[in-house]
Order: sequence, then C-alpha cells, then structure tokens
Amino acid sequence: MTAAGMGRRGRRPLGARVVRLGVALAIAFGGVALGAGYWQVLRADDLSHDPSDAGVIAAARSTVRGRILDRDGRVLATNRRDPSGELYRVYADRSLSAPLGYVSSLYGSAGLEAADASVLLGLGGDDPLSRALAKFRAPTQRGDDLRTSLSLTLQRLAVRLLGADRGAVVALDPRTGDVLALASTPTFDASGVADPATARAAFSAALDDPGQPLLDRATQGLYVPGSAFKIVTAIAGFSSGAINAATAFPQQPGDETTGLLVDGFRIVDGHHLFTGSEALDFARATEVSCNIWYALAGLRTGGAAMDAAARRLGFGAPIPFDLPTARSQLTNGGGPLPGGFADDVELANAAYGQGEVLVTPLQMALVAATVANGGVEPRPRLVTGLVSPSGAVSNVPAATLGRVLSAQDAATIAGAMVQAVEGVDGQKFTEGAQVAGVTVAGKTGTAQLGGTGEPNSWFIGFAPAEAPTIALAVIVEHGGSGGSRAAPLAGDLLRAYFAGQP
Amino acid sequence: MTGSALPGFPRPVPRWRELGLLAVVAGALLLGGLSLGTTRTGRLALAHPAGLATYLGALAAVHVALVLAGRRVDEVLLPTVGMLGGIGLLLAERLPQDLVVQRVGSATLGLASLQLLWLVLALAIAGLVAIAVRSDRWLRLYKYSWAALGLGLLLLTFVFGREVNGSILTLDLGPVSWQPSELLKVILVIFFAGYLAENRVLLADARVHVAGRLTLLPAPYLLPAALMLALALGIVVIQRDLGAALLFFSVFLCLFYLASGSKVDVLLGIALFLLGFAVLALVFATVRERVATWLDPWADPLGTGYQTIQALHAFARGGLLGTGLGAGLPAVAGQLPIPAVHTDFPLAALGEELGMTGVVAILGCYLVIVSRGLRIAAGAADDVRALLAAGLALVIGVQAVIIAAGNLKLIPLTGITLPFISYGGSSLLVNGLVVGLLLAFSDRGPVPPAAPRRAHRLGRKKA
Repeated sequence: MTAAGMGRRGRRPLGARVVRLGVALAIAFGGVALGAGYWQVLRADDLSHDPSDAGVIAAARSTVRGRILDRDGRVLATNRRDPSGELYRVYADRSLSAPLGYVSSLYGSAGLEAADASVLLGLGGDDPLSRALAKFRAPTQRGDDLRTSLSLTLQRLAVRLLGADRGAVVALDPRTGDVLALASTPTFDASGVADPATARAAFSAALDDPGQPLLDRATQGLYVPGSAFKIVTAIAGFSSGAINAATAFPQQPGDETTGLLVDGFRIVDGHHLFTGSEALDFARATEVSCNIWYALAGLRTGGAAMDAAARRLGFGAPIPFDLPTARSQLTNGGGPLPGGFADDVELANAAYGQGEVLVTPLQMALVAATVANGGVEPRPRLVTGLVSPSGAVSNVPAATLGRVLSAQDAATIAGAMVQAVEGVDGQKFTEGAQVAGVTVAGKTGTAQLGGTGEPNSWFIGFAPAEAPTIALAVIVEHGGSGGSRAAPLAGDLLRAYFAGQP
Repeated sequence: MTGSALPGFPRPVPRWRELGLLAVVAGALLLGGLSLGTTRTGRLALAHPAGLATYLGALAAVHVALVLAGRRVDEVLLPTVGMLGGIGLLLAERLPQDLVVQRVGSATLGLASLQLLWLVLALAIAGLVAIAVRSDRWLRLYKYSWAALGLGLLLLTFVFGREVNGSILTLDLGPVSWQPSELLKVILVIFFAGYLAENRVLLADARVHVAGRLTLLPAPYLLPAALMLALALGIVVIQRDLGAALLFFSVFLCLFYLASGSKVDVLLGIALFLLGFAVLALVFATVRERVATWLDPWADPLGTGYQTIQALHAFARGGLLGTGLGAGLPAVAGQLPIPAVHTDFPLAALGEELGMTGVVAILGCYLVIVSRGLRIAAGAADDVRALLAAGLALVIGVQAVIIAAGNLKLIPLTGITLPFISYGGSSLLVNGLVVGLLLAFSDRGPVPPAAPRRAHRLGRKKA
C-alpha cells in the first residue's frame, strides 16, 4: 500500500465515533441523574426523616415538638421550658416509657419519639405533594400532634399489674390493629431523661438497672412461648389440612404415661392425668394443653407447613409497626429438614412452643388477634392520626397484613380457646382469665427455660369471644405457670377494659 | 476586508445567539441572587449585588471582546460555562464566608470574594486564549516536551506535595497553594491528541489477529497505553487520588477510541483498570478503606462514613424541588452538616437547595459543554485538532461525572472538583484555559464574502 493510500485509509472521518462517544457520555450523565433520583426521590423520606438527619436535629432545636395524645385525647407527652428557655419533654406517666421512649438533648431519642420525630417536628408527612407545597408556606414553629390508639388507663393498669416483675403486656383491637396498651417492665424515668437538669442521673440509672428498662420487651423482647404457641401450630395444621376438629391420635393416651418417643428422644407430659385413656380431639387437647397431642399434630403438619404459617403470621421479619420490632423465629434456620428444623425432635418440641421457637409479645398478641378477627391478621398501629397546629386532622387508616387462615378454621380454633378458659377442665388451669358476663378465649403458656429458674408465664387471648374487641398477650418473666400469673393478670386487665366500656 | 472595521483592527462580528443566552443566564442568576437574599433577610433583597454585578460584567466583557475580535467561534460555550460559574458563585455566597479566608495585601477575603476573584480571572484567561490562540502548532509540535513537563509536575507534587484529606494533591508556592493535577489533565490531553493522531493509521491497521473477529494491537503500540495505565494506577497509590486517576484514564480511553475506533481495546482497558484497582485494593489498606467506606458508609457513621452519609442526607432533604437557595444545609451548633462542602460536595449542597431538578439541570449544562466540544471535534480540519477539542471537552465532562457520581455514592468518593462550581483557584483557572482553547479551536475562519451569486446574476441581467 502506498503512503498516500494508507493515509487516505487512516483518515477515516471521526463523525460516527464522535456521535457514539457523545451517546456514551450522555448515558453516563443519565446514570448520574438516575442516582440523584434514587437518593432524592426514592430514598428521600427515610433519609430525611431519620432522627440522625441534620434537618431533624436542627428542627428539634428550633421547633416546638408536637404533643402525643392517647385515644381519648389525654396528653401523654408535652413540653416544658427550663430556666434557660430551652424546651424539654414531660411524659404523663412512667408506664409510657417503653412505647413513647424519650427525647433528650444529651442522649438522642428512642421509641415513638424517635420513630415519628419528623412528624412531631413538623417536617411534613410522607406524601411528596404536601412536602412540595409546604415550601411555599412560612416555616413551621410547631410540629404536629400525634394521636395514638393507646389507652392511658389500660397502659397504667398493665404496668401496675406487672408490678415488680419483668414482663410485657400487649393489648390491641383485633378489628383495627389499634394498640390499646404496650407495657414493658421495668419502666424508666423518661421525663427525667428528657429534663436537662436530671438527664445524666436518670439515664445512667436506666442504663445501670439490671432489669434493662431501656429494652422495650413488648416489641423487642424475644421469649420462648411455651404452650401459647400451640395456637400457631393449630393455625398451621388447620390451614394446611393436616388436622381438623376431629383429629385424635390413638397412641396419645398411652404416651401420656410412658412418654412419646421421637427419634430416640422422649417427650413427657403427664400434667393432665385426669384425661386418662381418652384420645383427645383438637378442642380437648387445647383445653387441657396436651403436649403429646400437639407434638403429634406438629409432626403430621410438617416443618414446611409450620414454617409457611409462621411466616404468614409475621415470623422471620420485623412486623410492620410504628416502632422497630424484633423478628420472631420458628427455628434457628439452617437445619436440613423443611422449615429449617434440625430434626423431628425439634419439630415436635416446637409444636408446643419449645425447641428453638422465640417470639415477641407483639407477635403473640397478633396471633390471638388473627384468630379473633376471623383469620385476617390486622396490621398493628400506634398512631391513628396527625393533628396539625391549625387543627387539621389527617387520619392514618387501619390496614391488615392479610388473611392467614379461613374464617371457619379461625372459628374452630376460637372455640377451642374458649374451652381452654371456660371449659370444665380448662378452668382448672386458666380460671384467672375469666371475666363475669364476658366469654373469654385464651391459651396459657408455661415456658420452660432450662436450668432451675421459674418458667416464664404466658397468656394470649381475646374477648368477648362472640365479637372480639380486645386481643392480648401477657408475658411475666419467671412468673411460674401461665395459669398462676399471666392468666389472672389478663383477667384483671379484661375486667377493667369491659368495666370502662359503655 | 472593508466596511466598518477600523484600520488595523478586525471587523466586529455580532454574536446574537451568545448574547441571547447570556441574557438568560443573567436573568437566572439574578433570580437566584434574589431568592438567596430574600431567604436570608426575610424581605425582597438581592444577595451580594456588587459580586453578582462584577461577575455578569466580566461575562459581558468577554462577550464584547469576542465580538470585537471578529472571530467566528462557538456561541454556546461561554453562556453555559457562565451559568455553572454563576451557580458556583451563588453557592459560595450562600456558604459561611469563613470556610476559606485569605489575606491579600491589607484586605481579608472570604469565600465568595475569593471565588469571584478566581472566576473573573478564569473568564479573562478564557477570553484571552480564545482571541489570541490562532494556531495549535505550538501544542502539536512539542507534544513530548509537554508530556515531560506534565510528568515533571507530577513528580514535583510527589516530592514536595502537602497532604490534604489523605490525598497528596497540593503544592505550596509561597502564599498560594496549587494543585498541579489540574494543569496536568490539559497537558495530558495535548500529548494524547498529538500521539494518537500521529499513530492513528497504525493503531487502526496494524492489528494482530487473535481469535475469531478479535484482534489486538501489536505490543509496541500498546506500550504508551500500558504506560498510561501504570501512571493512572501510580497516582492512585502515591497520591491516593482515585479521582485524577479515573479522569486521566477515562479521557485516554475515550481519545483512544476516537483514534482507533476499536471498542474491544476500550473494554480491555476498562477491565485492566478495574483489575489493577482490585489488586491495589488487596495490597494497600488505604485503598481498601476507601472502597469499604463507599460500599457501606453506615458501617462507621460518625467516622469514615460521616461525610458521605451527610451528603446523601442533604440530597434526600432536597427532594424533587429543593429547599430553595439559602434554606437548606441546616447548621447544628453553627456547624454545617457536610464537612468540605465547598470543595468536595458542592453538588450535595446544590442538590439540597435546588433539588433533583437543579441537579439534573446542572448535569445538563455539563452535557452541553461535552456536546459542543464533540461538535468542534467533528468539524475540525485534522486529527490533532479533533482529538484536542474532544479531549478538552471530555476533561470537563468526565470530571463532572466522576465527582457527581462520587457525591451520589455511585462510585467511590474522589477528591476532584466539580468544574466551574467547586471552590478552588487551580481548578477554575485551568478550566478557564480549557474553555479558551475550545473556543479558539472552534474558529470557523473569516466571514465568507457576502452573497456573490446574487450580485453576479443581477450583473448579467443588467447586461
């Protein structure tokens, strides 16, 4: 090739390459713009409403924080000025320390005060339109008030009934998911933490308390559920078709005395000797809380169906709620059997609430509420509305987490739970939960913890059984059997609740 | 040439398009100044009117100078750059003035005054270069000397450089600190353009068959590319400046593609860079730390991840429309939420106050600069000129992409500036030089004689 020819060939016009390069650059810029969209639109809410956001922190210093109200309009949290003119928070009652948390210039914030800080500081709701419109108005000096579903009366009573014990009570309306009480003991002095003058002393007292009052047991505490978990097993068994109301196991009465052998491990029960040679059906087994029957039912249902039902109820993930929640678990996961069980022994134990099962009190209250609400699980909510400084109210709608089991199966399980409280044999265990004139449905749990300590005392239930308006879960750490401590506590709470109803 | 030109002076050429666009820019900046002043004082007021007037005056002066010089150069670049510089000036006025303080003689200048000073100087350089540079011979003839000068600058920084924010980028010259890597990027573009244009034929034809349709350059021609890769990775290690390395190497690859047309080589280059970077990350703890901070800044929210997280929060607070100039960046106890916002995170500050809309508009301005540069390249008379124009525009565009993507956590954060907006003398002056060269290279030559055909026809008719 001649030099001239080579030159001509080499001097190909750059045009097409320039265009391609321009397109590549445009794509790069487009990618950056998409990145801006991700952070400024998709992630805008959770970042800019985070309590650690500089905007939220700055607003906290210049804005009057909105108040927190209970379901009847009683003030749960309001503001006071210290001698230097700085605002600080005052709470109606120590019993509120778990759900409301605190806000402090020294120690940040916790609970609802942290979760809903941006609303309390008037930084706008979640919809982009109202936030865009807010730019054209004068900056707010006052945040929105939060109207909650809590009942100060029930909350106080729940904490008082727990007394010196460590434990938690969750009470909610199964129809709406409205949380009526969310108690965790011991409590701490949230007003003291909020007041700059006493903050250091109050906060270190809370930190040093061996009872760990800063842990909200109702939403974050993970407990072995014991027999209260049998309701979850029933839900799994019924919804998978493995068991029905007539299911009975011929070997169960015999195993009652000798123990049920699973893979060489002997499951012993023997706490209801009076049923003798009777092969219990579902309702009877629930009434007397038969571990052998439930172990057999769990084995028949299988790990996969157990796992599926537990997940439908919210196990394995944080529960969508106004406050952060811990994940309840059916197994530690990783086991070779379906559902993550290590072996059939673990499955059989899990079926009556032992094994590796760990639950939050809120999760167990939702289990009761699901049965009470005809098989549909309500989405729990603490905040029912926002009241702007001008008095405008925007309501937070109730929602559900979906159907967990059929209405018919829910009714069958509810019937068994009524029998467990009101039945001739059931009341031998659960009499304390009864309320004069109201049919109560429930299930106790006595969670063995291993070692020599007293077991954890559980009760979950709802009332009135015909048309439930309240569902609850009670856990008293080391409270003994479910019937001796948690069930009477629930009875007291239900009596107060129905006495206060018009 | 005859007509209105004074003897010894070129005939002025009106630049209506530029004037119109400059009027739009002036309007936008006045509106911005008004918005900032009103937010700040609570009544209708213009923020720092003298500064804005000076800046708009400088833009107008460059425009008038280009008109009087009579050169037919690009009319979109100056207004676009003027818009970006104006946004930078508004940002500098909006931030606390004590972020940067320098004594000049008896006067003490704060952030906005210094930024204005640098901006006016940058515009002056752009105007002077646009008018004075008639030929690129001095650039193309001495390309190896330029390359040597560039490497010398780099070495100087390695040896005498001062460490700022963990990167060695700054060279102290008496009272003025200077970042040589800013000038280095221009020198490298000049060298690449000269080298690649000279060897373009060979790059395109002398290929070795590997397998199927895959061909590669023979080893001797790859040597400069390999050297460039080594230089880029060396900068990462020794200067700890991933941004400059990424910038140099990306621009090199872009120009290599323009010259050779081979996408395979470019992909290979990207792969080798990533591979090299991965190896560096395995060997050097500082590089690894940067990558870890990029992947999960929330692992250490109050330490290494602090700046990044605060910037992302600022973007989030801005949302779609922004808080408005002056209404964002909530200071807690007198502290701005983002450290080094004026140099490293101007886009985060603008993202908060102008919203995603503003960010996209700013990105659009950079894309306009790139497209003008590529236009100039496509219309250039020869390869050197084309590669020079493309390279200069890419230096600005790619730099903007790298720092914007870093601010938005799309790539690891780097310490390079956002062209025309970030505070910094070196950056502004060099970018002014780049704009001046682009303008000069866009010259379409003297005005052709007016309508000869029509005059001819009239003459025939008369006869």
